[in-house]
Amino acid sequence: MSPPVAVIAPLLVVLFTAILTAVAHRSLRVQRALSVLGGVAYLGAVAYLFARVKAEGTLVYQLADWRAPYGVTIVADDLSVFMLAFGSFVGVAALAFAVVYVDEVGQRVSFHPLYHFMLVGVTGSFLTGDIFNLFVWFEVMLMSSYVLVVFYSGAEHTRAALQYVVLNLVGSALMLVAIGGLYATVGTLNMADMARRLADPAAFGITTLAPVLGLSVVLFVVFALKAGIVPFHWWVPAAYRAAPAPVSAALAGVVKKVGIYAIIRLYFTVFAPADLGELALPGFSGSGPLAYFGPVLLVMAIASILLGGVAAVNRDDIDDLLAYSSVGQVGFIVLPLALAAFGIVAGVDAPAPYGDVAGVSGLAVLGVTAALVYSLNHGLAKSALFLASGAIYDATGTSRLDRLGGLAERAPVLSGGFFVAAIGLVGIPPLIGFFGKFLVFDAAAVAGSELALGGALAGAILTITYVTRAWNRGFWGTPTEVVDATRTNRTQVAVVVVLAIAVVGVGVAFDPVLEAAIEGAAAALDTQGYVDAVNPDTTTSATSGGGHA
Amino acid sequence: MTEVVLAAVLGFLFAVGTFLVLRRDVVRVVWGVSIISQAANVYLITMSSLGGAAVPFVSAGGADAPATVDPLVQALVLTAIVIGFGTTAFALVLTYRTYEEHGTIDMLELADGTEEAETNGAVATDGGADE
Amino acid sequence: MTKRRYGDDTTVIARTATRIVSPIIFVTAIALLLQGHNLPGGGFIAGVLTAAGFALIYIIFGIDYVQETLLHRDVEPAFGLPRPALAADYRAMFALGLLVAAGAGVVAMFFADTGFAFLGQHDWLYDVKPLFKFHFASAFAFDLGVYLVVVGGLLAIVSVVGAE
Repeated sequence: MSPPVAVIAPLLVVLFTAILTAVAHRSLRVQRALSVLGGVAYLGAVAYLFARVKAEGTLVYQLADWRAPYGVTIVADDLSVFMLAFGSFVGVAALAFAVVYVDEVGQRVSFHPLYHFMLVGVTGSFLTGDIFNLFVWFEVMLMSSYVLVVFYSGAEHTRAALQYVVLNLVGSALMLVAIGGLYATVGTLNMADMARRLADPAAFGITTLAPVLGLSVVLFVVFALKAGIVPFHWWVPAAYRAAPAPVSAALAGVVKKVGIYAIIRLYFTVFAPADLGELALPGFSGSGPLAYFGPVLLVMAIASILLGGVAAVNRDDIDDLLAYSSVGQVGFIVLPLALAAFGIVAGVDAPAPYGDVAGVSGLAVLGVTAALVYSLNHGLAKSALFLASGAIYDATGTSRLDRLGGLAERAPVLSGGFFVAAIGLVGIPPLIGFFGKFLVFDAAAVAGSELALGGALAGAILTITYVTRAWNRGFWGTPTEVVDATRTNRTQVAVVVVLAIAVVGVGVAFDPVLEAAIEGAAAALDTQGYVDAVNPDTTTSATSGGGHA
Repeated sequence: MTEVVLAAVLGFLFAVGTFLVLRRDVVRVVWGVSIISQAANVYLITMSSLGGAAVPFVSAGGADAPATVDPLVQALVLTAIVIGFGTTAFALVLTYRTYEEHGTIDMLELADGTEEAETNGAVATDGGADE
Repeated sequence: MTKRRYGDDTTVIARTATRIVSPIIFVTAIALLLQGHNLPGGGFIAGVLTAAGFALIYIIFGIDYVQETLLHRDVEPAFGLPRPALAADYRAMFALGLLVAAGAGVVAMFFADTGFAFLGQHDWLYDVKPLFKFHFASAFAFDLGVYLVVVGGLLAIVSVVGAE
């Protein structure tokens, strides 16, 4: 039986695009054409995979025909394809923007291969079913992003990149330590196999699971660092400001979501079933990693929302404002995850359709669904805003609010795109942002957590404040000198408009999106389903591997 | 016994790495980071229960395979070394570039320059390190 | 055109040692590359060794020696910076290596021997009687790609950084 190629098709397409653009580095025209064509083909491959997974359920691909848990497994389930679908859309939109934004010398140097390698890392991270492989994809993604952050290699950029690189290198070492420890404790690297062993350690001769708690904390720190959750957020503003606008858009819209995805996948699918015994920590109750994870994440989420929001309010630079705003918005994404962890620990149910998923707490489904929808919202809206900021910078030569003003008059279409994305961030119906915020509040209400409700409310008000301020200062009023001479690039504006339309369109046609998100959440919480699909069966003969002697 | 010695070595390596990462000199920081990642590699190797077992190589045909240490962690470490190698090289080149741009590799002096360079970063493109 | 002498600023001991050592390095590297699929060795380590060999030659004789006397190329500025022309070639080598390695993975998807799997592997043992047995593993194609990537990448770094 030949394996389902659909699973690795997106990975292969984007990998070969990256390589071919590197091979064609002598001709900018060929390189650009390959890059854009590859981007379109990548979207097609993702769409095909999405359709296949929706039709046939979880698809599994064993690399090199080595069976799980011995080989590296690539798994596409409802959660992976949900993240991949909007990640690829945002990634390719930012790429289209980059083609007209990054200057020719920059594009010739190595922009296209690097950008596509970053997408390779993102795609691999979403699809892998092996925890060490996840580390490798992270590194692929990070290495490309290091170079993209320092792409202009000026004074400001090198400083930001140095911070970003050193921080992430330490993070990578920590991740390696955590993975090694997990392997020593549990005896496997395959996520499905690990989940199975954690659920029933005695059956696999595992004597103690005690180290798992500490190791999962180390892993969580690494993922929180990637996602930029307070207190691991301080690299975000400098790095986002230093990177070219399309790269900032991809970093905020896609790369951050990889951290979120890793948290959902590892905590809710793999670690959730582990029974570590009653936590001997003051203030915590329960017996699994989630019992620890819930309260800690709740505090971090609320701190992110407040700190990001407050810091964004008085920024004078659009990029700075957007970077701090994305710290706050990530708080909104992880807040419902914390509530979902409460839901699992306490077994809280939720009304239909979230309570309809058999075998798991309804609040958990609601929480993860909210996180997914909010990720989608933030991915679309924030990347549109970063790209709009890039287009403004390209047209006026500045992104400082005190030098801008009256943009709505001189560049109405671009301003319209910015406006739609901005109110998407605020959460005005019928935009997707409204549903994202609504689900977060719903989860907080079902959980009965005043703290979460209050934090989210404060965050929503802060969001309105900084968005309004940016709009008033940058877009209304009489045009300033720099704005008067504005000439926007049509393609750049078109990309912003496409993303803004997506923010509206996904909100208007929200039912299928919600359905896909609930399916994604159910897949994330269905450990047994994940294990059965991957089927890491060690009882039959050793390997079915191909020609290995 | 091996494990005890290795545990002590690991503790030492992590301590040295952390110490260096906290220095002001960027080159030392890069050294610190690379020592930490090497320490993580050594840590991974110790996970294969080094009980004096043989190296995980089987003679041709696989006949009479002796008890070996876990080969998987060695494969993992090999991968991690390659990745660490690439990132360290990049970090050093970046340090050089930082020195060119700022004329210093002192972390505090770099941080002091933040205010004066707050001009949105001039779009001066050139290659830098691109591998 | 006066004939330039290369490596005047290094000692005769270093130059002589380099002449003797570098062929040994390159042969060892190739041996490591060829045996990589079932003994210690492989593309990465062979590539690092090759790059180290070239780095030695660059240090002792200078990159211009390789470029001008061996390859008859000029130093030409790229992107306004004086960069050795070789740097561009190394980048091409890097890209080609990636293509070979990833291509080897994809080719395996079309053969039953490798289970139609991406990165699937197979090996063949040819008995050329009475001379020798020839063992060919498809993993070698991947190793070769890795070798090119490592050599190209490292030497590109060395030549660009060395030029500054």
